[in-house]
Parts: sequence; structure tokens; C-alpha cells
Amino acid sequence: MAAENELDPVLHAPVRLRVAVTLATLRDGDSLSFTRLQDLLGLTPGNLITHLRKLEDAGYVTTAKSGRGVTSRTSVSLSPQGRKAFDNYTAVLRQLLDPASTNGTSQH
Amino acid sequence: MLEDQDMSVQEAAAVVQDARARARRELVISTPLVYTAWGLVWLIGYGAMWLSVRGQHPYTGPSGLAIATVFVLAGFAVAAVLVIASKAVTGIDGQSVRNRRIIGTTWAVGYLALLVAAPAISGSVSTRTLAFISFAGPVMLVGLTYILAAALGRSRSVLALGAWQVIVGISCAWLAPATILATCALAGGGAFLLMAAVETGLRRHGS
Repeated sequence: MAAENELDPVLHAPVRLRVAVTLATLRDGDSLSFTRLQDLLGLTPGNLITHLRKLEDAGYVTTAKSGRGVTSRTSVSLSPQGRKAFDNYTAVLRQLLDPASTNGTSQH
Repeated sequence: MLEDQDMSVQEAAAVVQDARARARRELVISTPLVYTAWGLVWLIGYGAMWLSVRGQHPYTGPSGLAIATVFVLAGFAVAAVLVIASKAVTGIDGQSVRNRRIIGTTWAVGYLALLVAAPAISGSVSTRTLAFISFAGPVMLVGLTYILAAALGRSRSVLALGAWQVIVGISCAWLAPATILATCALAGGGAFLLMAAVETGLRRHGS
């Protein structure tokens, strides 16, 4: 996870940020199917898998497979660590956008 | 969209805002729509029954047409809520889904119990008691179901709505049958419509 006052580089990428926002909308303990997530974000399966892997490597999302064959389903959820990282990311973002609380550093 | 393109702070904020708006629109059940559907059913349904008993001396109960109106409206509302909910929760699994099943089953079992009990005791209780059980009973049941939903979903607004409906239902114990129907229409249905308006306003202001 990034320092408290820096934008987390794992989340600071458009697709991963959209994944995090979407999963953060779910209630604690809920997961979203891979296909619905893909549909919501308009991504190809390969593209989504690539970004999910990066988020999973950082410990921000967990994926779980259930069922077999045509009934198999992959669920994706934000881990507690991922929710904390996302909350911190949005807090830093607000801080950077608010001139009154900016400390002279600009993220780009 | 590029995979790891660099983003400015402003672009990141826009991504968060857009993705959040879309996720809420697609994945969250629209409670204002649900409240509006039930508010209209109660306002029109109970209102129609009230109009059909107003001025009855002695009280003989709502007309068949008014009762049929209630069931048709309720059928539409149940269908609408199911469509809204299933569209939003497709692909979602977990505790909130299990909670919704518990809440739905509680309401269905309770309502079935009232549908069976009211005719069964109709011959042995006063018309006022029967009116209380038949008309205020469903209001109290909905109130208790909302309180259960509030406990499971940790929502103060749902708790307030549930508590209000229980109060509306209990207050009917002191009222005449025609007044029970008017109270359920205005205080019960009105509360749903008021809550729909409040939640719509809060969403527009981003709360």
C-alpha cells in the first residue's frame, strides 16, 4: 500500500481504479461475478484478468471460483485491505484537489 | 482505454466520479422507485377501500371492486420491485443477497399468515377487530419487516420508516374501520412517498 499522503500506484490507473470503485460500491461481504464486472466496465476478459491480477497481487481483491463446466462462476470482491487502500486513495485525491489542503506537491 | 496510462489528479477524480455513478445506477437497488411503488399501492389501494366504506351505516366492509384493485396494484408492485431488484443484483453474491432472502421470506410468510388468519377468525370477532387485523395488520407486518431489514443492513432511514409503519398500524387499534383505511392510505402510503422524495433529494445532492 502507498504512503498515507500519496496516490497508490496500484490504484492510480484508469481500469484498476474503475474496478476498485465498482467493487467498493458493493456491501461488505459481497462479491461480483467476473462477467457482470466485465460487462459493467466494457472490457475484454483478457484485459480485465490482467488488471485483476495486479490488484490481487497487491492483496486488494480476492477472486473465488465455484461450480464446474458451464455452471462455473468466478466472483471478485474487494478485500478489507483493498477497501482501506481505496478509501485512502480517495482521501488523498480529495486532499490534492482541495487547494486549501495541498502541500505544494502535484501528482501526475 | 489504455492499461496503465498516466492520469492527472483531475482525471482520476473524474474516473472515480463516473465509475461510482455508474456502479450505483447499475448495482444498487433504487429504493426511491421501490418506495414510490408501495406508496402508490397503499395510497390508491387503501384509499379506494376507504372511499367504498365511507358513509356505510352499518359498516359492511370494502366493495369487491376496491379489494380487487388492491390485489391488482399489489401484484404490479411486487412484479416491479422484483424486476428492479433482480436487474440490480444480477451477478452479486454474498451476505446482502442472503439478507434479502430472509427479508422477503419474512414478509411473504407473515402476509400469508394474515391472509389465512383473517378469514378464519372473521366469524368470531367484531367487525372493528377484523378490520384492524385485515387492514392494519399488513402495515405492521411491513413495518416489522423494514425494522428487520434495517437491522441486517444497518440503515437508520429504513429503521425510521419501519418504526413509523408499526406506529401507524398500532394507532389503528383505537380507530373505526373507515378511519383505519384512511390512516393506512395517508400515513402509511404517504410515508413511503415522502421517503422516496427524501431519498431522491439526498441522491441528487450526492449524500
